[in-house]
Amino acid sequence: MWMAHSSSPYGTRRIALVCFALLLVALFLFPNQIQGLSQYLGGPVGYAVSVPLEAIASIDTGIADRWEQYVALQGVREENQQLRKENEWLRGQNSRLRESAAATERLTALLRFKEQALPTMVAAQVIGRDATNRYRTIILNKGESDGIKPDMGVVTPAGVVGRVVKTTGVSSVVLLVTDPNNAIAGLIQRTRDEGIVEGTQQGLAQLKYIPLLSTLRDGDRVVTSGLIGDFPRGLMIGTITHIDKQEGALFQSAELMPEVDVSRVEEVLVIQTSYGQSSKAGSGAELLEKPLP
Amino acid sequence: MKFFFYLILVLLLVPLQTTLLPHLSVWNIKPDLGLVAAALIGLFAGELEGLLIGLTIGWVLNLFSAGELWLSLLTNGGVGLLAGFLGRQVSQVTSYSLGGMLLLVSLVSGLLAAINFKGLDISQMWWMVESIVVPQACFDGAAGAGFYWLLSRRFDLTRLRTDRMDGLF
Repeated sequence: MWMAHSSSPYGTRRIALVCFALLLVALFLFPNQIQGLSQYLGGPVGYAVSVPLEAIASIDTGIADRWEQYVALQGVREENQQLRKENEWLRGQNSRLRESAAATERLTALLRFKEQALPTMVAAQVIGRDATNRYRTIILNKGESDGIKPDMGVVTPAGVVGRVVKTTGVSSVVLLVTDPNNAIAGLIQRTRDEGIVEGTQQGLAQLKYIPLLSTLRDGDRVVTSGLIGDFPRGLMIGTITHIDKQEGALFQSAELMPEVDVSRVEEVLVIQTSYGQSSKAGSGAELLEKPLP
Repeated sequence: MKFFFYLILVLLLVPLQTTLLPHLSVWNIKPDLGLVAAALIGLFAGELEGLLIGLTIGWVLNLFSAGELWLSLLTNGGVGLLAGFLGRQVSQVTSYSLGGMLLLVSLVSGLLAAINFKGLDISQMWWMVESIVVPQACFDGAAGAGFYWLLSRRFDLTRLRTDRMDGLF
């Protein structure tokens, strides 16, 4: 019955076509309003979809865990996981200590130390990847009901993951640092030169708009500058692997190897209040040190 | 009955597309099941239902993607509509013709997305076209043709596309 070819009258089809055309015209004329309306109407749909989404994600995680624990080498796997975590934590710690050392020098010179608050963070689990192949995003199991809003920064203890671009009641979409549509204010830790970090088509990142006189070199670390957006200063973004300095160009650029392997990330922290706005640390905040002034 | 089928389809498409399909991706490219579903519905249920369900699928999938809403609606709604026309105008729809239509629609949609990307130079756009858009279009075409072929093994599709399949499900 239901698969039968609906013999809808010609008039109905014509009305449908006109409505479709009008919808597309409205989308072009009022993109923000329609997007807002879509997000608003998508709230209940997000709740409904999140039930099978979380169920399938947990089954998927369960199967993956079982496979890795029992079929693969169990002891080696656990040890490796432990070492990876430790390594990630140490890399994050190392980056922050470098940043602390550089900051201490500046602050000592200034003889002024301002008490700063820790950012509030929410821990979230990755439950999916982008529905298309054209964007590099992850889907988190936390949304508006957990206080997550678009433009909030997303990190792991090792460094920056991306930023939230869309939310429903119980889920959110995070545009990864490796996506060409993403832009984060970055800072070369050694030279203190600023630039904009964008993703590349190849799944890496690049630091653009670096001053021509900058003495950057391969291996230099790039951290968040904290000037724009919801990232505190000093979070590791990546390491410079290649410098591109063209004759006659106003700026130089550099290719980065992102610090976080975004294709394997499973748990993340969403920064709810940016640097200096919060008075208390939230869940997971202990993973990051106090941000620098 | 039909409403619940569509509801379950739309609800299950998101976890399938975002959670399970990444495991089945080839060279990091996964087929767009929303596109395939909209095309099959358009083909079997007519252009009106194809359009409406395509629009719904496009909208719901867009809630879980960073992509543009207009492109998602245009692609999924458009493919449902086109498949409906194909089913009405072409007497013998084969898996090849459906696969070819899906390949073309996916290619056009991918090219529109590439043009819509901010700050891409020609070399980056070319890289995106040859590494993502074309493989994805081939994948979508193959997936659509495969599903149609599977359905044709199970059901008499000529009958399915007419009003005589009442009570099949």
